Amino acid sequence: MNSSPITTWEGAGAYFTFADKPAVIAFFLLAATVACFGAIVIGFLHENKSFKNFE
Amino acid sequence: MEQQITDLAAKVAALETSSAMSGTINMEIFYWWCTALMIIIHAGFLAYEMGASRTKNVLATGMKNLLAFAVVVPTFFLFGWWIYLAFPAGFSIDEAAMAGLPWSENMGPNAQDNASGIFWGAFALFAATTSSIMSGAVIERIRLSAFLVLAVVLGSAVWILGASWGWHPAGWLTASWGLHDVGAAGCVHLIAGAFTLGVLINLGPRIGKYNADGTANAIKAHNIPFAVTGLMMIIVGFFGFLGGCIIFVTGDQWTNIYGQPATLSAFSFNTLMAMSGGIIGAWLKTRDPFWMMSGALIGIISAASGLDFWYPPIAFLLGIFAGVTAPMVARFLEKKGIDDAVGAVAVHGYGGVVGLMAVGILGAGYPNMNDMPSVSFTGQFVALIVFAALGFVPGYLLSYAMKAANVLRVPYNVEVAGLDLAESTIEAYPESGASPRPVTSPSPAAVPAE
Repeated sequence: MNSSPITTWEGAGAYFTFADKPAVIAFFLLAATVACFGAIVIGFLHENKSFKNFE
Repeated sequence: MEQQITDLAAKVAALETSSAMSGTINMEIFYWWCTALMIIIHAGFLAYEMGASRTKNVLATGMKNLLAFAVVVPTFFLFGWWIYLAFPAGFSIDEAAMAGLPWSENMGPNAQDNASGIFWGAFALFAATTSSIMSGAVIERIRLSAFLVLAVVLGSAVWILGASWGWHPAGWLTASWGLHDVGAAGCVHLIAGAFTLGVLINLGPRIGKYNADGTANAIKAHNIPFAVTGLMMIIVGFFGFLGGCIIFVTGDQWTNIYGQPATLSAFSFNTLMAMSGGIIGAWLKTRDPFWMMSGALIGIISAASGLDFWYPPIAFLLGIFAGVTAPMVARFLEKKGIDDAVGAVAVHGYGGVVGLMAVGILGAGYPNMNDMPSVSFTGQFVALIVFAALGFVPGYLLSYAMKAANVLRVPYNVEVAGLDLAESTIEAYPESGASPRPVTSPSPAAVPAE
């Protein structure tokens, strides 16, 4: 898959990967969101497990 | 002759374009290094908080600090920057917010936009700094996951809403009330301090902090030199923070966030004088090096709102006043049963109050831009109420809900044994013999304060 939204640097604007593919941008945005909040959830679950060792 | 004029005009146009581009690049460079310096604030908080904790909790404290930074940055990308652009008028959404949506063309590398990313970065560091203010107060008993949720709410939602209202050229607190809070004493420090107070009320004190009769015990830091050095690093990083508070206008004079002319020279005078006053004031009051270094911080915060216009000796005296009185506020809170491990509410919350109201009392009358109201006591006081409520209410309600769900605080046995055992896979001082104690007795009376 071609990730570049530009074919020339002349007059380039937004040039981040997949800038011209909204569906792909949406996918990565969702993935980043899930990763960020998922990490907090994983941390919460790990704490629950770890705290059991102290009961 | 005509050809010469044409050539000359072309050269002038090229020079203008080149000069404008140089200005743009210089602007980016300026905020890049301000952002880098602000990361030193986090290095400072890391050292400060780890030094302030007991050995059994030192690594968990550090992990909490690092993770706060790590979750505030992406959430500030996801929605924090949008909040800032969206709500200067209150709760209606400004169309400028489109540029802050995480899928916007401005929210990534863009050859036509040298500004969005660098301003986002500076604000993201402001956001991380704001949540770090809370992190020291709640050490040694808050659950890491709960803290991270609170850090995201404070850093990527609450303070940035306050900034949209009062640290924005068109924010309603300035547009309707003439608020002047150049160094963000109100929108960062007061909001963070008030949020922290709300959390502390529900979190409760550390085990052993208070006796049955309500008297408080000092829970001693395990490494004061480390904590004091960390605080000094925060001061260094503060220069990046304050640099980020001034606006680089290509080809023209600096302005503050409200568009009023300002100079880094003014900031230089007043930051250094206020910092010095704060150290002296705290020394006179406490003879405690931890408080002396905190005094530097509160000195700067107390002068921050008017950093662009104080006569420098006034900034010095404000610093002394804040340095003398902040330990008194901390002591008052401690007597009321609020266990703030590092004095964050006193330094930042109270410091923010002093900063805002100093401008209201000593800085009233300064003109605003575009027919907006001048600086006034009333305007500053309205902002104080708004920022305090904006910080306290979400902090209190969210932590109350977490407490009710029993997810706010670590279990009793974990707190006694030490959070490092539960949260870290490595030991802080493996050769020192200062390893966390095993759990012995479940009785609170059997656990002395350390």
